[in-house]
Amino acid sequence: MRSVRFCFRKLVRAALPGALSLAVAALGQDAGPNVALPQNSTIQSPAPNENSSAPQGSPAVQGNSQSYSQGGSIEQELGISPVPVLTGYTSYFTRVNAGQVQDAPALSPLLLIPLGDNWLIESRGALAETYSKNAQGDFAGKFAYGVVYAQANYITKYVTVTGGRFTTPFGIYGERLAPSWIRALQVTPTAVPIASLSALGGMLRGGVPAGSDKVNLNYAFYFSANNTNHIVATDRSTGGRIGFFFPNQRVEFGASYQQVLQADRPHSVGAHFIWQPYRVPLSVRSEYVRTSGTKGSGYWVEGVYRLSQIPSLKRVEFAARAQQFFAAPNLKAATIKKLGALGLDANQADGGVNYYFANDVRGTVNYGRQFIAGRNANLWTVGMTYRFVMSAWPGGGAL
Amino acid sequence: MKSFQVKMRHGISVVLVLAAVFLAMSAAASVPANPAAGENVEDKALETKAKDSAPSTTASHPVPDDKAMRLEGEKRFQANCSRCHASPPTFPPRMMATILRHMRVRANITDEDRKLILRYMTQ
Repeated sequence: MRSVRFCFRKLVRAALPGALSLAVAALGQDAGPNVALPQNSTIQSPAPNENSSAPQGSPAVQGNSQSYSQGGSIEQELGISPVPVLTGYTSYFTRVNAGQVQDAPALSPLLLIPLGDNWLIESRGALAETYSKNAQGDFAGKFAYGVVYAQANYITKYVTVTGGRFTTPFGIYGERLAPSWIRALQVTPTAVPIASLSALGGMLRGGVPAGSDKVNLNYAFYFSANNTNHIVATDRSTGGRIGFFFPNQRVEFGASYQQVLQADRPHSVGAHFIWQPYRVPLSVRSEYVRTSGTKGSGYWVEGVYRLSQIPSLKRVEFAARAQQFFAAPNLKAATIKKLGALGLDANQADGGVNYYFANDVRGTVNYGRQFIAGRNANLWTVGMTYRFVMSAWPGGGAL
Repeated sequence: MKSFQVKMRHGISVVLVLAAVFLAMSAAASVPANPAAGENVEDKALETKAKDSAPSTTASHPVPDDKAMRLEGEKRFQANCSRCHASPPTFPPRMMATILRHMRVRANITDEDRKLILRYMTQ
């Protein structure tokens, strides 16, 4: 036993200096540009609107170009070292849902931490307070908070490996359109929560040219464990999404699949479509979702038109959406009550106007009419969103 | 009987949606190139310019010139970024590099798109 310990100590003494020097070399190569640069190092970054032929003459950029030609990143070639960024949005909305007034301020910060050439740590939180009248007729607030995602990504040319808590790659709404500063209409389509929206596990994803530069293939496959913590609750599930994007036509379509591996083990299928014609400043987006479980199926089609051709109205955007939701057949009364909005058939039409006060500040007025058997309702939303972006590292905001 | 009705409604809904999409696509494709009618002239000009000055890979021009790469970058920016949100403003280069890394994950943009957009947005 003693001799084993002796051998182990000898081995550690022999290997430690080598391991330490390897670690130092790796840190110097990868993390160096992110963390070790002094503030004035941004001098390497080319100034905006500068002719790109100019910086190539500078010794710093020349040196980086050499390293890029040996397989380095685009950041190295351009002499740019990415810095941690704090972004996100804040919003304030007044909603009138079927005569019930709600005031809802919200904050959703997102922290992005790049490490080395290939890593990105990202985490988005959500904090919201909803004020509405209680049984006594007084306005009372209800606070909600959670972690939308907290994930580590290792990015390579063809595949990104992701671990942690993330939004499930199902359809387009959850991953891409959900933040209030992005969505054109503030009311979430009824069919979106049919599939499981959050995951805790691993994911492989990426976007690659599919044989030519006329088509891009994007894909994402994941697995998730069950987690019952109320802040980061997830289902045990697996699934994925495949999409094809035609950049010349600005058309994307794709399909999603999800299999929940717990409870009644429902599976969901989905399809999505995006089209942005070059001729008009119009975006058409649509999604269809169907589940084998108790949550039914539905689809939505949305059109967004920005009046960018009229100089005096170029900050105005019109949006309209039609959606239908079909509850699962033969539901019991108790199940319908538990499912809430997903328990009854519904048709809904929404329309709205967005006004961009600035690139990041947007005012919104939405109106929707919901048709549900026995309880049609008007849905009003008025409010503002502000998207913020700031460097979370000294000198990171320098031009 | 009820499930049959539901299936019928599904079928009709899907057909209606597809019909509406194809009608809209064919209507937009038949619109004449008229700026007053809403054509995005910048995009069109950009497309032509990018085609004219497409990166050459012949022996005489082994490396694409900066202007062509910037034009291609602008084209990729317009094709990719506005798919989800309004065109973002220009951020400082070091922040832009981080944001594009985020977009590489979030929006599944290709590595080539990221490189060209970063070059376009920072130079």
